[in-house]
Amino acid sequence: MASTPGPSTSLRPAVPAPAAPRPRRPFRDNPLQVLLGIFALVLALAGMMLLLNRSSQLAPDFLSEFVLYSLSVVDLTMLVGLVFVLARSVIKMLVERKRGLPFARFRAKLVLLLLGMTLIPAVLVLLVGSQLIFNSVDRWFNQPMDEMLDSAQRIASDYYHDRQRQVSDETARLARNLASADLATSDLRVVRDAVAGSVTDQRLTLVEVYRLAPGVDGLPQPMPVVDVASAAAGRVKTRDTSERLAARAASGQPDAWMREPLDSGGELIRAAAVVRRTDGSATGVVVGSVQLTGEVAARARRMTKAYESYTQLRVFKPALTGVYLSFFLMVTLMILVSATWMGLYLAKRITRPVQLLAAAAREIGAGHFEHRVERETVDEFGSLVDSFNAMADELAASRRALEQSSADLERKHAEVEDRRRFTEAVLDRVATGVITIDAGGRIGILNPAAARLLGLDAGAAGRPAEDVFGNGELKPLAELATAPYVAGKGWPAQEIVLTRGGREVQLALAATPLHGDGRQLEGRVLVLDDITPLIRAQKVAAWREVARRLAHEIKNPLTPIQLCAQRLQRQFSGAPASVRELVDECTGTIVGEVEALKTLVDEFSQFARMPSPRRVPTDVHELLTSTLGLYEGLFAHVRIETLYAVSLPPVRLDPEQIRRVVINLVDNAIEALNQQGLIVVETRHDAADGAVRIIIADDGPGIAPEERDKLFMPYYSTKKRGSGLGLAIVRRIVAEHGGSVEVGANEPRGTRFTIELPCGEGDAPAGTEMA
Amino acid sequence: MPGRLLAIVLCALLAESGGDRAVDVGAVVRDGQVYVSSTVSDSLMRDLEEPIQAGLSTTITYEAELRQEVGIWFDRTIARATVAASVQYDTLTRRYQLSRSVDGRLADSKVSEDKADVKRFALGFDRLPLFSTGDLEPNAEYYVRVRVRTRPRVTFFFWPWGRDAASGSARFTFIP
Repeated sequence: MASTPGPSTSLRPAVPAPAAPRPRRPFRDNPLQVLLGIFALVLALAGMMLLLNRSSQLAPDFLSEFVLYSLSVVDLTMLVGLVFVLARSVIKMLVERKRGLPFARFRAKLVLLLLGMTLIPAVLVLLVGSQLIFNSVDRWFNQPMDEMLDSAQRIASDYYHDRQRQVSDETARLARNLASADLATSDLRVVRDAVAGSVTDQRLTLVEVYRLAPGVDGLPQPMPVVDVASAAAGRVKTRDTSERLAARAASGQPDAWMREPLDSGGELIRAAAVVRRTDGSATGVVVGSVQLTGEVAARARRMTKAYESYTQLRVFKPALTGVYLSFFLMVTLMILVSATWMGLYLAKRITRPVQLLAAAAREIGAGHFEHRVERETVDEFGSLVDSFNAMADELAASRRALEQSSADLERKHAEVEDRRRFTEAVLDRVATGVITIDAGGRIGILNPAAARLLGLDAGAAGRPAEDVFGNGELKPLAELATAPYVAGKGWPAQEIVLTRGGREVQLALAATPLHGDGRQLEGRVLVLDDITPLIRAQKVAAWREVARRLAHEIKNPLTPIQLCAQRLQRQFSGAPASVRELVDECTGTIVGEVEALKTLVDEFSQFARMPSPRRVPTDVHELLTSTLGLYEGLFAHVRIETLYAVSLPPVRLDPEQIRRVVINLVDNAIEALNQQGLIVVETRHDAADGAVRIIIADDGPGIAPEERDKLFMPYYSTKKRGSGLGLAIVRRIVAEHGGSVEVGANEPRGTRFTIELPCGEGDAPAGTEMA
Repeated sequence: MPGRLLAIVLCALLAESGGDRAVDVGAVVRDGQVYVSSTVSDSLMRDLEEPIQAGLSTTITYEAELRQEVGIWFDRTIARATVAASVQYDTLTRRYQLSRSVDGRLADSKVSEDKADVKRFALGFDRLPLFSTGDLEPNAEYYVRVRVRTRPRVTFFFWPWGRDAASGSARFTFIP
């Protein structure tokens, strides 16, 4: 995920952002820039050192106006920079501590330590260096030097003043001597003689006389008249300056003197004096000059220069001190800034990778396994980053494998769950009872069918099978649950008979071992099948076969018997009365019994060849009402009450067959009541089971529980008359409609027959219960 | 030692902060010109005496501004003029070379040996026509502010940027 290759020291979280512009590396992470910065710093320091070394040769004005200004600017800038860096560091430290970032305290300590380690010696050096500067500067300006230079300057200045006064005095004297001379008309030789003495006597080197003529601007214009010069002055005559000086004097300016440097190295000290007549009017100007030799002038100038340099240096003493102090302060601040920056840099270099690793660890901990840390250094931190990234790779791979496994597991779990739900649904819905017993003999699964068949509740699950099945009737289950398993043989199937609600229930019991992966026995499964209907159907089928054969075998000889009896009756019609009476009685009995046998055989035939019901949607209430209407007024002491449900759905049934069923049951009830009592016909709708129940109850003497199930057996009757096929036919018709008929005790007394017929769309197919 | 350093720094700062002096400024309108007069207190001369006597070319610059007050905002500067008086002392001849320039143009120069003359020349100027009244509104109030700066700086101020050695102002109402 490295996006910025290179030997940078910073580490950044690798974020896949190919379109993002390459971030600009900070200064501290760019070695070239750092080197350039250090080089520039060293260059600046060297320049400053050079400047300081040459400070004595620099003009004080330059030092105070430029160097001191620059140093002060740099010092202030560095001070502001230092304060800024420190303030920023403190604020960042506070923020990082508030955010709970790791190593914030460590960074602060490291920076403070480096700053402290640098600050104390730097300040000490600053103080000592400052004192040294003060002492050195003080030593520059000591009293002997002051006195010496001041004296030298006074000597030179006094010499100049003396010479200037001398020139002025001599020139004024010459001007006074020329007061009576007419400079415009008199003989020039007279004028020259008047001034030549001063030159001859070496009081002056050069004397120039000007007469004043009116100028164009009204001011007097000096016009040269005569000049007298010594032999040495020939090379230094400068008419321009003397004319300007003469003009200044003529214009009335006081102190008309000047100093003129010569190309030869000497100087001319010049003075001008106005020539005035006795009436005070100016007629001319005398300019006298004295030449100072080059050596004298140079020495005087050097003395003056030295004095000026010294005094100027003394004037700039505070500024110079400031320059050196500023430089010292600059170096100190540079050290402090460098130390601070270095401290921050080191702290960041040390802590930033660790902070990034910590942040990356948090990211990975939060599940972002693709998060990586960029490795850009080749040092130990780079190795640490490599190790971290390798660990992250392995974690990501493990996570992917784990997710794959988890997905597989979830899929398998879903499959198992589906299978379990399917099994549970099957177990809940099947009529077969299923019981699982673990290796410890405890009941695991007890499906509703098993609970219903065995008369147990769901709480039996989890209890020891021996305790649950310990009673008398269920003893065979307990024995089967605890019977040792013989490999290859298993357990033999059994049939047990239980009494439930006064009925005998025949159950087929089978056990199957549950094997684990190692083929070890982990439990067993007991399967219970209610084979009562099957047994019952087998019995009915047998009876139907018997009835069919009986009808066939009996019905055939009945007609010849009847014909023979009728023939006998005809043959003995002419016999004596006593004989005929006997024959008539006997043949009548034979014919009657044959008729009875025919009726019986017909019933047998009907039972054996019961037609399939033709089911149509029928209103049960209407059917019941019309059927019960047949009994109105027939039995004075029998009361038939109806207790219908509020609403019943139409039921697909064969109205005639069901009517026959109702009539059969009501007839039985009336007979049981001995034609005196109450019959209640009730209907119920069980929407959950999709069934309609018709209940016919009487308050007669009732039926013993042990006889109730036999009622529906063919040829079983509690009446003196009857074939015993009525209830068998009832059961068969109801069974042909997919329903069932049960008999039970009525409360408070009597018998209660319940017919349950399926209702709703797609009624149960016929023959659910074999009759 | 630290005390001395601290004292110097404090003195420098105090000297800087307490360096303000008053400048007497006068402004007169006449003949379409604003004539400005300015005089600085003698104490400035005392400060400058040492550098002048050391032969340093010393300049006292008067920066005159013709301004008008603008409510709660910064005042409006209408015109500026700079008068610079330079003093150069020749320690050998003990004479002062004096010159004055207005906006860079030489206005006056002379040589003198008299310190009083130097003081008069350097510490002010009298009725110099620095501004024209062409841009002024009749019956409006204006003021002339004069700020004085000296060169060279002979003291050490840690604060590098220069400050006015003195300043003052004079108000007038322009009546044409």
